[in-house]
Amino acid sequence: MMSYVADFIFMPLIAFVTGLGLVLMARRVRAKIERRVGPPVLQPIYDIVKLYAKKTQISHGIMHDLSIMMLLGGFITAEIFLPVPGFDGLAGEGDLITLIYIMMVPMLGLALGVGSCANPNGSIGISRALTAMLAYDIPFIIAVTGACMAYGTTNLIEIVQIQQAGGPASWGAATMPLLAFGGLLAVHGMMGKEPFEIYIAPAEIATGPMVEMSGKYMGALFIMQCFQLYTIGVIYTTLFLGGGENWPFFLAKVFAVVFISVAVTNVYGRFKTDTMIRWMWKWPTGIALAGLALVMAN
Amino acid sequence: MSLLLRRRFFWEEIDLMSLLDILLLVAALLASGLFVLGRGSFAGWLATVVYGLMLAVLAIAGLALDSGVAFIPSAMSFEILGRNLGWRLDGLGWFFALLTVGAAFFASWYGSGEWGRKQKRMGLQHALLALNVLAMLLLLSSGDLLSLFIGWELVSWAAFAIMTQGGGPAVAAAYRYMIYALAGAMAVFAAIMLVQNVTGGLGFADLQTAISAMSTAQVWVLFILFAAGFGVKMALMPFHLWQAPAYSETPGASSAFLNAVSARMGLFALILVLVKLTGLEALGSLAIPFTFMSAKSALMWVAAITMVVPTFIALMQTDARMLLTWHGIGQGGYMLLGVLVGTSLGTAGGLMHVFNYATYQAALFLAVTAVIHRAGTSDLDELGGLITRMPWTYVTLLMGIIGLAGLPPMNGFVSKWMIYKSLLDGGQPLLLIMAFAATLGTILSVYKLIHNIFLGQLRREHQHLKEAPVSMVLPMLILAGIGFVTGFMPGLALNITDIAQRAIGGDMLPHHLGGVTLATGSLNMLWVVGVLIGAIGAGALIFYLLGNRRYEVHQFDNYAGGHFLSADIRYHFSHEFYPGLARVIGPWYRGSIVRAEQGIGILVNVAGDLWQAVFRVAYTPLYMLLVVVLGLVFTGSWGIVP
Amino acid sequence: MSDKLPVIEDQPEICRSVDAGERSVWTRVMNRFADHCRARSLFVLHYCTGCGAIELPPTITSRFDMERVGVSPMVTPRQADILLITGYLSIKTLKRVILSYEQMQSPKYVIGFGSCTINGGMYWNSYATVKRLDQYIPADLFIAGCMPRPEAVQQVLLKLMEDIDAGKANGWQDYYNNYDRYLGNQQALFGESWHTPTDVIAEAKHYGYLADGTMGRHTDLLLKRADYALDRVPEDYPERGKNERRLP
Ligand code: SF4
Repeated sequence: MMSYVADFIFMPLIAFVTGLGLVLMARRVRAKIERRVGPPVLQPIYDIVKLYAKKTQISHGIMHDLSIMMLLGGFITAEIFLPVPGFDGLAGEGDLITLIYIMMVPMLGLALGVGSCANPNGSIGISRALTAMLAYDIPFIIAVTGACMAYGTTNLIEIVQIQQAGGPASWGAATMPLLAFGGLLAVHGMMGKEPFEIYIAPAEIATGPMVEMSGKYMGALFIMQCFQLYTIGVIYTTLFLGGGENWPFFLAKVFAVVFISVAVTNVYGRFKTDTMIRWMWKWPTGIALAGLALVMAN
Repeated sequence: MSLLLRRRFFWEEIDLMSLLDILLLVAALLASGLFVLGRGSFAGWLATVVYGLMLAVLAIAGLALDSGVAFIPSAMSFEILGRNLGWRLDGLGWFFALLTVGAAFFASWYGSGEWGRKQKRMGLQHALLALNVLAMLLLLSSGDLLSLFIGWELVSWAAFAIMTQGGGPAVAAAYRYMIYALAGAMAVFAAIMLVQNVTGGLGFADLQTAISAMSTAQVWVLFILFAAGFGVKMALMPFHLWQAPAYSETPGASSAFLNAVSARMGLFALILVLVKLTGLEALGSLAIPFTFMSAKSALMWVAAITMVVPTFIALMQTDARMLLTWHGIGQGGYMLLGVLVGTSLGTAGGLMHVFNYATYQAALFLAVTAVIHRAGTSDLDELGGLITRMPWTYVTLLMGIIGLAGLPPMNGFVSKWMIYKSLLDGGQPLLLIMAFAATLGTILSVYKLIHNIFLGQLRREHQHLKEAPVSMVLPMLILAGIGFVTGFMPGLALNITDIAQRAIGGDMLPHHLGGVTLATGSLNMLWVVGVLIGAIGAGALIFYLLGNRRYEVHQFDNYAGGHFLSADIRYHFSHEFYPGLARVIGPWYRGSIVRAEQGIGILVNVAGDLWQAVFRVAYTPLYMLLVVVLGLVFTGSWGIVP
Repeated sequence: MSDKLPVIEDQPEICRSVDAGERSVWTRVMNRFADHCRARSLFVLHYCTGCGAIELPPTITSRFDMERVGVSPMVTPRQADILLITGYLSIKTLKRVILSYEQMQSPKYVIGFGSCTINGGMYWNSYATVKRLDQYIPADLFIAGCMPRPEAVQQVLLKLMEDIDAGKANGWQDYYNNYDRYLGNQQALFGESWHTPTDVIAEAKHYGYLADGTMGRHTDLLLKRADYALDRVPEDYPERGKNERRLP
């Protein structure tokens, strides 16, 4: 019982702290590519504290508040179902498929909250965000399916064990490179980085879903971003990079996954929604399907 | 349920034979009684109470079936021209009967209050609902191919009768349905005749002997006839075009009933004939020449296509009811796919999806009907912001769409998870990907549904709307509540599907209250939902404890690029909600689906006009009788003169 | 018409009002911490209608890099802390500025950029531009010059950060406390039927920023106008909660 309590408290906390690091890294890398200095180390914390410390907190109704709770709750749940070194949490009580669908709960929560703000920019943003989700989730799902077929299980703990038993040569990225590559492209879309950030489009629809989010509502979104980067990184690491043997290695892998994405993102402009769908359904999907065919052939 | 084996309960004392008889008798009495008394304001409540009693009878029957009784026979059986017509309720039929009576219970409750009073001929609707229940019970308890066919016809005609109640476009849609249904019935009839021809009998056992006796070509013909005939009713992919208009034009409460269970009669018949009697191995060995596929895998692909295409068509709809009925077609694909996988997990998942679907689809339809009742339209481009006016309807719709989209914590997630998992374990990655893709499409589509109705700008003409009355809100909230409880504790629903699964045969799925434990990945919803709720609680703590108090503003205090918003301006982003996606799938949708629909629409209109010339709606019962009698004579004479 | 318009009054000294919980150590420590973070995380809404906008890209990008000190651009007033008015405001754009300012969340800061915001600059005799920004919304700092260079923008941002850290940048409280005066000046410009969607008075009430100057004869006009608006369009302000603007 105590171990569960420890899991429930520490896994989200670790996720949050690591996520702060990931956000900082993303901002620093962007700054370096633009030949800037970039924000100070504590910047992500300053931002969140500042937003929570706003003296007026406007709300657009109960659903707006509830959506913030769903957002945080959904991601906290997702963290507890992710196996990380030293903590398995509840990974045995729900599997990879469960995890993927739990991760959609905060998305739905956010979408409902934004909708209840009654802001047309927000609605347009959500429409684009959901379309983008449809675009990148299809290659991602193919990669996940292929990996599950190859490992013969959807149990996250076992997936990690299988890869760790065989060493780096048995990592998903080595045994199914095509799937891993397709998955990586999909993950890039999932993080909402250029060229796939049309749903944020600051100059056009005023950050879309976030347009009416202020104060602690926006603060919760900043926290969500930490969770999101971490969760995506961990899922990819678990599926294709052998999961975590120990914390230093594990964190290095998670940071590497996010790093790849943020390092390439700056050279792109922005895709239109339909261009994004076509691209996602052509390249990553094609690569992942080829990978799936290889897995099935073996 | 091992507890039941140790003690004798009262239902073992009473004659088991009478349970089904009681059920059928009560249903028949109710239907005829409502035709007479239907005008009275109490008729709806009476019907609701009777459905409640029937649920109790079914519960007793369920306990009996669960304790090992193979089926509950009916005393009613008669001999026609040497053929013995019999009825008996086995676990499979019981499962569907439970859903039927349950859906009727909630639909009739909903229709008894304020909503019913606003309907033109609510008495007739109550009576027709009871007639539908009776027809479905007869079908579900059919004991041989002939009674199956009679039940099938009765269900079609009863559904037709209730569909026409909407008037106007509803009648046209119902005619279209009838054309399809008759074609399907002819296919089924031909298949039955084929069996009769080979074996000279019409029992279920004769079908099994027939299949072993027939040549491969004959089995193929039989398979195609049955699959097409029953597939029409459950709107399998090439035969699906009738369903969305027909179901969505039906008046609200009846429509909820039809949506929840009516199409599932096709699934019942498919499971009965193809899975239970023919067997999936037989289907699997029925290879399609020059391909890797068999009849089974072909049907699975049909199911998968039925899952994906209608879902994306639903995405393009602009009417809430049409959107939901198209999803209904798509959800049927999941059920059939699960059952066809054939593993214990897949079958349980498919059956559980039938149950789950009935709960959330009925809730969704009742909620949309409540919106129509208040706001007067279900056009997704003409609503918006109703969350402040109809919060409980919103809650129902929200829970319903979470179930429909298959996300935790609702029950839709559990059954979909089981179907995904069975596809994965069954080595069907492509079908799995299609299932995932359909789910993603569903998420987009249901968000559009809830967004366009309940979120966004509240229109001026909806300022003074009130929440729907309790008589409407309560049944739909209870339905949504069932969806949540069986999502939190899927073991409850799995106990029910167990009875059906035992009747189908094959392995049983070991499960516990929270879900299933498998070697290749488990699901325990008690943990998932428990942690989710706990974590949302933690989110609430973070929200309320940190930061200053919230301050609620009105909807026009909104940032629109420095624009001053007011009630004069309509800015709710609702029309063509997914323009990016529409640009990708739109041409395809308009090119193939809409064209096909127009073509078939014209065809059916021509046929319908001819049809209308032959008879009028008023003569429906007479015509039904005629078909039944002719059918009997036909079968009989065929039997005598081979 | 002009004799009926409300008189533009002079601006009193901006000073910080003391919160009730100011004396508790915990509140003080938390406030100190919050101010510390506020000063180091500033999101700027650039209101770029004037010529000065051209100086902002270099301020943001690699030459001067605002993000170094935690300043980053934001695009909606809901998320922004600083409203940076880059130059002249026509009367029409001032309406939007006020709308945006009121939609920002307190604490919020206004920086007037360029001579135009201070005294009208080279448009001092134009019929269409606003001469003094701080008559309509409380400006915390101005940057003089026509146009100021990015270094000056940086200077003023650093000065603002210093002020915030010391708890001195409280122009936003003045808007609540003396809303009537600001509204009067706005009405002088836009006419008596002027209103924004934000209910500043109710917000001030809700968060306890109500002062003697919050309501007065100008806000009375606002209520009358609300009356009028409600008459004309009964559903102009639908109730979305209990903090609805109420008629007296
Ligand atoms: S101060 Fe000078 S540069 Fe700035 S807006 Fe006015 S005229 Fe243009």
